[in-house]
Amino acid sequence: MLATILAATSGDVTKAGKAIGLALGVGLGAAGAGVGIGLIFSSMIQSVARQPELRGELTGIQWLGFALTEAVVFYGLLGSILAFVLV
Amino acid sequence: MRRALVAISLLALTLPSQALARGEFDPTTEFEQHEWVPIHLGPLDLSITKAVVYLMLGSLLTMALGIILMRWRLNVEPGTRQTFGETIYDVAQSQIAEQGLPSKAIGLWFPYVASLFLFIFVVNLIGFIPLPLTGETWHGFPVWGIYAATSSISVTLALAALTFVFTHFEGVRWNGPVRYFKSWIPDAPKPLLVLIVPLEVLGQIMRLISLSVRLFANMLAGHILILTFIGLMFILETVILAPFVITVATAFYIFEVVIVVGIQAFIFATLSAIYIGSAIEPQH
Repeated sequence: MLATILAATSGDVTKAGKAIGLALGVGLGAAGAGVGIGLIFSSMIQSVARQPELRGELTGIQWLGFALTEAVVFYGLLGSILAFVLV
Repeated sequence: MRRALVAISLLALTLPSQALARGEFDPTTEFEQHEWVPIHLGPLDLSITKAVVYLMLGSLLTMALGIILMRWRLNVEPGTRQTFGETIYDVAQSQIAEQGLPSKAIGLWFPYVASLFLFIFVVNLIGFIPLPLTGETWHGFPVWGIYAATSSISVTLALAALTFVFTHFEGVRWNGPVRYFKSWIPDAPKPLLVLIVPLEVLGQIMRLISLSVRLFANMLAGHILILTFIGLMFILETVILAPFVITVATAFYIFEVVIVVGIQAFIFATLSAIYIGSAIEPQH
C-alpha cells in the first residue's frame, strides 16, 4: 500500500513531511492548551458561583493561569518552526 | 470623533497597498530587519533597525505616559487623567508587586516591575498601531504597517536576562551565597538528590527561556495570524474572500489588542516579581 503511494508520488516529498510536521506540532500543542484553558475557566466559573465575593482575587490568578497555559501552544509552534527550518 | 479614529485605523490596516506593491505576499518578510543606520563597533553590531526605532518610540512614550499621568499637575481631587494614572499605579502595586515581592523588598523592586509592566504594555500596543515605519515606499509614499519590537527574540531575551541577573544577584545579596544556593537543594533522600539538583539548576535556566519565548511567540503569532488572513486574498488572488478575511483578521486584531497585549505585559512583570521575591525569601 505504502509502496504504491510512494511510487506514485512525484516531486519533493521532504517538503510534504515538513508541512505535516509543522501542522502536527501546532495542532497537538493547541489541543493540549485548549483543554487546559477550558479547565481554568470552568473552575473559575464554579468558584465564582460558589463564592461570588472572591471574584476580585480570583481574576488575577485566572489570567495568570490563562497566560501560562496559552504559552504552551507557542512552545509547540516554536519547536515545529525549528523542525521546519532546520531539517 | 473617537469612532471615526477607530474606523480609520481599521481601514488603514486592511489597505492592501503593501502586498500589491510587492506582487507576491509573504508574511514572514514583515519581520526582516534591515540596517537603516549601520553602526558597527568591532564585532558588535549596534545598527539601528526597525525594532530599534520601535523600542526608542516605546521608551519615549512610556516616559511621557508616566510623567503626564502620574507626575504632572497632581490634585487632591483627581480628574480623569489622574484617576487613570492612579489606576495603573494601583494595578502595578497590588496586582503585580505585592503578588511576589516580600514587604521588605517592595520599595526597592517596585519601580523595576512597574516600569517593566508599563514598557512592555506600550511596546506591545504600538505594535498594533499602523505606522509608516516599514522602510518601504509605494509611489513615493511611505508604506504603513504593523510590527512589534517584542516579536523579536533579542528584545524579550534581553528583558528576561535582566530579571534573571537581578534574581540571582538579590538572592546572593540578601541570603549570602551559601544559604542561597543551599535553598536550591530540596528535602529528599540522598540518592535522589543526584537527579533533583541538576533538574533544579535546569529549571532556573528554563525560566529564562520560558519568560522570553512566551512574550516573543505570542506577539509574533498574533502578527502572523492577522497578516496571513489578510494575505489570503493575495495568495489566492481573489477579492471575493475580502468580507470573510477582513472580518476574521479584525476579530483577531481586537482579541490581540484587548486581551493579549495587557495580559502578556502583566504576566512578564508578575513573574519577574515572583522570581525576584522567591530569591530574596527562599522557602527552605
